[in-house]
Amino acid sequence: MKKLLLAILVVASSCSSIDCPISTKVAVNYGFYNASEQKDTLTDTLSVWSQRKDGTDTLLYNSGVNKTTLTLPISYQRPEDVLIFRIADTLKSVTLDTVWIKKEDIPHFESVDCAAHFFHTLTDIRSTHRGIDTIYIKNPSVTYDTTVEHIRIRFKDRH
Amino acid sequence: MAPMAVQAQHFLKIERDSVPFFRGFAVSVDLVGAAMMHLGDYGQYEGALRVNLHDQYFPILEVGYGKADYKEDVITGIAYSASAPYFRIGADLNILKKKHTGNRLFVGLRYAFTSYKVDVSSGKIKEDPYWKWDATFDVKDEPCSQHWAEVVFGLDAKIAGPLHLGWSARYRARISHNDGQIGTTWYVPGYGIQDSSVLGTTFNVIIDI
Repeated sequence: MKKLLLAILVVASSCSSIDCPISTKVAVNYGFYNASEQKDTLTDTLSVWSQRKDGTDTLLYNSGVNKTTLTLPISYQRPEDVLIFRIADTLKSVTLDTVWIKKEDIPHFESVDCAAHFFHTLTDIRSTHRGIDTIYIKNPSVTYDTTVEHIRIRFKDRH
Repeated sequence: MAPMAVQAQHFLKIERDSVPFFRGFAVSVDLVGAAMMHLGDYGQYEGALRVNLHDQYFPILEVGYGKADYKEDVITGIAYSASAPYFRIGADLNILKKKHTGNRLFVGLRYAFTSYKVDVSSGKIKEDPYWKWDATFDVKDEPCSQHWAEVVFGLDAKIAGPLHLGWSARYRARISHNDGQIGTTWYVPGYGIQDSSVLGTTFNVIIDI
């Protein structure tokens, strides 16, 4: 019994396994809809940018055409993101819309072996309504789940 | 009656002999958890009080203090700390045929609980990649708790007089857990590194009293 006890003590250990999530992308998904709440295709050219801490512009989305959805990054810890939507029609007429997204930011931790990220809860959204007719929050929770549509937009009638 | 049920009944039956039913108490300390505490980033100090019923049944209360102090990870830069007391309560069954020799072979069950607070700092996330604003964070005293169960298999050998040495191997399974707002806790006092289940061991110095 004593020999067995010593042998087992030598190999005494504990074990566990930690797996980091495969997908750690946290982004906001936008869906484009018409007045009947049907999926709509934006035939105009759409670009989106914002302003960095130092005041320079950062392009978040560049010249998308014939899109029904859009995925944009979200700031880690700013209480409100300010986005500029640039909508250019086929006659090169440009409409600029400012969109304000208020949110709560929640640090998200899995393990010391996995990089930490931020999850978000969208609390309010508004725009200048120049090219955007309606914009609202569909699902406020922004996490690793890339399949969720968070915001819906209806653009005004094409130029 | 089915043969297995008969076997189980025989297995659990108190033997009729001249040995008294109440055989005393034993106290023990775990050396594996203490060694982990001193050699690694986490571990626990743990002691137990055990009742000996006819050298067959051993109701047991285990109490401990678990602690993790993980300094900034080389890759992720994350630092993590948590510390709290915990307890387990359950019983062991001596499955040796000759139960009064002083040596024991155990199987047992435990229910365990801890309530603890976690500190996490974000490490290498220094700034937002698009907006360039500061993105470090420090979570302080995030309240968390966990209930879990353990299946125990162990040996206990009589060394000299009231002194026994023993080890146990444990399979741990979470019953329920509250990880607060931060996502997932990493180390749970008394349970170990967080996962749906983990294996663990103890090595105990036991004194009959």
